[in-house]
Amino acid sequence: MILIFGQVLPTQQTDLNVILQTIYSFAFIIYLFYAQKIQTLQMLRQIEVTLRKVKNVKEEARNQTVKTFVEIGKPSGDIAPRVDRFMDFFSIGLENMDPSGIVDKMDHFLKTNKHIYEAEVKALAPNATPTERNNLENLIEVSQALNIYYKVIRHFYLLGKKTMNIYVIMQVHMILPQLIQMVEAYASGIQAFQEGMPIGDSVGAIVAAKLMHGYPQRDIAEEIVAAEVPYEGRTLIVFKAKGPGGSVGNPDEGLINILEERRGKVKIIITVDAAGKLEGEPVGQVSEGIGAAIGGSGKEKFKMEEVTNRHKIPMHAIAIKQGMEHVVAPLIEPLFDATDKAVESVKRIVLDYTEPGDTVIVAGIGNTIGVGQ
Amino acid sequence: MSGNQGSTAPAAGMTASWVAYAAILIVGLLSLFSLYMGFLNYADNTDIALVYLFIGAAGFAAIGYMLFRGKPTTAKTETLVVKKVEVFTTLECPKCQQKRVRDFKRGDYVYKDDEPCTRCDGMMIITKISRKKEEEKKKDESSWL
Repeated sequence: MILIFGQVLPTQQTDLNVILQTIYSFAFIIYLFYAQKIQTLQMLRQIEVTLRKVKNVKEEARNQTVKTFVEIGKPSGDIAPRVDRFMDFFSIGLENMDPSGIVDKMDHFLKTNKHIYEAEVKALAPNATPTERNNLENLIEVSQALNIYYKVIRHFYLLGKKTMNIYVIMQVHMILPQLIQMVEAYASGIQAFQEGMPIGDSVGAIVAAKLMHGYPQRDIAEEIVAAEVPYEGRTLIVFKAKGPGGSVGNPDEGLINILEERRGKVKIIITVDAAGKLEGEPVGQVSEGIGAAIGGSGKEKFKMEEVTNRHKIPMHAIAIKQGMEHVVAPLIEPLFDATDKAVESVKRIVLDYTEPGDTVIVAGIGNTIGVGQ
Repeated sequence: MSGNQGSTAPAAGMTASWVAYAAILIVGLLSLFSLYMGFLNYADNTDIALVYLFIGAAGFAAIGYMLFRGKPTTAKTETLVVKKVEVFTTLECPKCQQKRVRDFKRGDYVYKDDEPCTRCDGMMIITKISRKKEEEKKKDESSWL
């Protein structure tokens, strides 16, 4: 091989070969020293393309938010500056150096956060109904999330451009597909929160609504409504967030209040919620398990686990599987149809694990936007 | 736009792509020339022609590698838009079971008493709100899973 190369390049000293030899040497040296630089520039370019699109999505979301606030809330002045200011609103995470008592701190923190959102939305949309205000709270949360995604990607892009450090750039480049997926998911939620449509996360609330519809209802905690439903000699106490506004309520408080009322005399508790599916699992698959099927900050889950443990009540869980892109997007048909399967699962668990005369609590967890009761 | 909050826009220039694509272009031209020389010399001097062909092929392989190595980690961004989807509301009359499907309107919600039934004197209730069924995805290689 070396001999053959020798034949082409050094031995036949034509002008062309000298030029070729020089060019090849340069190309080799450039590639040797600048390969990483070229790769860095390519990655920066890909981040830049994504950043431009995320910026468009974020600005569209902000414009749609302002438009919806004006349409629904009919404010007197220009609300755009106030919306822009609130888009940058942040909440500082709790210090967990000494974790003792952090759940109560989290409870207080979340209530403060909710109070701020309610006050801001009330000021921005003074003529909106409570249901519409709940939807507008969700809408502005989506816009805020998109704004944060944009700012984080922009931060790494500019930092990478400034330092030209491949490791800084790689940090964001590696998670770009996941970031795009998240931004896509939030972008699809804009329409749902503008119009008040049920979303993927509403499946738990729909299951509860299907069980409790037509029975007398009462408020049992903040934004939580419950109904007693007779079923095959058992009493089902079904509760969900009070709809149809976009709210998840305080299901932990609802559960605690019911258990206090019943002095812990409950046979089983069934929680129904949307759950993230693994790649390959079909959308709308209904799976059964044990534990508290609830997401969020963890405060609700902790309190539910604590109270059920205190009364030694088994907790069953029903999960309705869906992709990240479905969670805040308008509900798709297979997910709505899956709620019927989940209702059947609830009934089957009740028959399998309880006797006539028992009391069962069924909690429909999730955002109740577009779902009455 | 006031919503921008003083954000710095991505650089308007295409410096990053310019350098990368210029490098790819140069290597591509050299490889092409090499292949041309290879074909030209193939009849008279096969050994030398093979070296030219090898260099040309290696050049194109390097370009392919350069383009390919960044691609798998990025996802398609075409879907990154705020899109509107068609959502339908299904109404049912609990008395006569009449069913009607219409476009979603702001204010609709599941179990809302919506409008009088056209067949009987009952009130139609919204029983379902959902987006149009997604089109079946094309079967891919992993469909056996």
